[in-house]
Amino acid sequence: MAKHHGDGHHDGHNAFDVSSKVSEFEILELAVRELAIEKGIFSAEDHRRFAEWAEGVGPHGGSKLVAKAWSDPAFKQRLLENGTEACKEVGIDWLQPTGVGTPSDYTFFYVLENTPQVHNVIVCTLCSCYPRPVLGMSPDWYRTPSYRRRMVRRPREVLAEFGLHLPADVEVRVHDSNQKSRFMVMPMRPEGTEGWSEEQLARIVTRDTMIGVALPRADRTSDAGSLAEQAR
Amino acid sequence: MSKVRYESVMTADRNLAPAEHEEFDSPYTIPNDRYAALTTILHDVGGEPDYPQALYGKGEEDWEMNTYLTCECLAWRGAWNAEMRRRAENDLGKTQYYGFPYYGRWITGAARVLVHKGLITTDELGDKIDEIRARLEKK
Amino acid sequence: MARPKFQVGDTVRIKDRTTLFHTRTQKFIRKRVGTIVEHRPEWVIPEDEAWDRMETGRKEPFYVIRFKQTELWPDYTGLAHDTLETEASESWLEAVKG
Repeated sequence: MAKHHGDGHHDGHNAFDVSSKVSEFEILELAVRELAIEKGIFSAEDHRRFAEWAEGVGPHGGSKLVAKAWSDPAFKQRLLENGTEACKEVGIDWLQPTGVGTPSDYTFFYVLENTPQVHNVIVCTLCSCYPRPVLGMSPDWYRTPSYRRRMVRRPREVLAEFGLHLPADVEVRVHDSNQKSRFMVMPMRPEGTEGWSEEQLARIVTRDTMIGVALPRADRTSDAGSLAEQAR
Repeated sequence: MSKVRYESVMTADRNLAPAEHEEFDSPYTIPNDRYAALTTILHDVGGEPDYPQALYGKGEEDWEMNTYLTCECLAWRGAWNAEMRRRAENDLGKTQYYGFPYYGRWITGAARVLVHKGLITTDELGDKIDEIRARLEKK
Repeated sequence: MARPKFQVGDTVRIKDRTTLFHTRTQKFIRKRVGTIVEHRPEWVIPEDEAWDRMETGRKEPFYVIRFKQTELWPDYTGLAHDTLETEASESWLEAVKG
């Protein structure tokens, strides 16, 4: 079965009963979709258009934003002042694919700047609010009750489990995304990247660094090696 | 449903452990603190005790991506909105909320809201499910 | 648009209202005191949106509130300067005299 937007560590594990020939959720989804199309609630073309949009979004969008902000102080200022508007400069339109935004992401986007004094990290304790237009689909672990329960109460422990140990003089600021705002962390530009192009910089701005559970490094271009991934 | 399948489903159902369990189902009375615990809003889990777990990304299966798309299209065309989806997940109750995979909550909530709003009937839904199951299993 | 009742820098307490069925105001911020750090636009409150009232629901200004983690969790194991930010609509907030 095809997978989408994985983290590079796939196995053949189904989300539920592998002994059944066809999963009941697959059947239920098809039933809901076919009935909705038959009754004219939405069209097959709507579904196709949304799929095309969803295939196109991913962490590369956020990486571009951060790399550009690192390279261009004026852009960084615009990004911090009006995230939704500044996204257009790298070709991300929060009004897509419907013309009024996606139903679940809305159009209020805020970038959280890490500083030597403050480290930001995002969570949605109530469900899985996530800035899909700039980061794509959230990683599965982000939606687990375990992450939702613990990140607000024991952020330093959870960050340590991701391999991120922050010094005592840094304030850890957890953002519980509980309404219509969507957040992305802008990490600090690491040492050893002087003179890099935006394309080079974008490669080290991985998804986890924009959630706030990792820091970019000149030699780190993938989240796959994190402790959480290895813990499987 | 065959007799054998009925018996096995009933046995599996009895073995599901609700998070709050009384020895005597549907007790005649409950204390107020139990009422408070039972009416806690399900999705509000921030700060609940839990232990570290191996957190990894498996990526979306086809049905999961399609569930996301179908739910968003339903909202785009006004059948519901994202907050109704989130409420529908809470309305599943604890056993299904924690027993289903993430997108299982979404699609079950979508089906229920469509019925609730009178956009489809349970008969249409059931018949469609049976038709699709037969179609897919024949393949 | 209604004029927001609170200003950035104001100290507020989150009300502990009875909420059956659905809300997006978390239990762990109820009765806790924090500081308004940002305004957000006026939106339909989730307590109405959740019941299919996107068009007719009550609109309120929203705020970002910053809490000290030690205010939220009596047994907080991190450091005293750690914080948490989250959002709430105006009717959930009450002024705390500085």
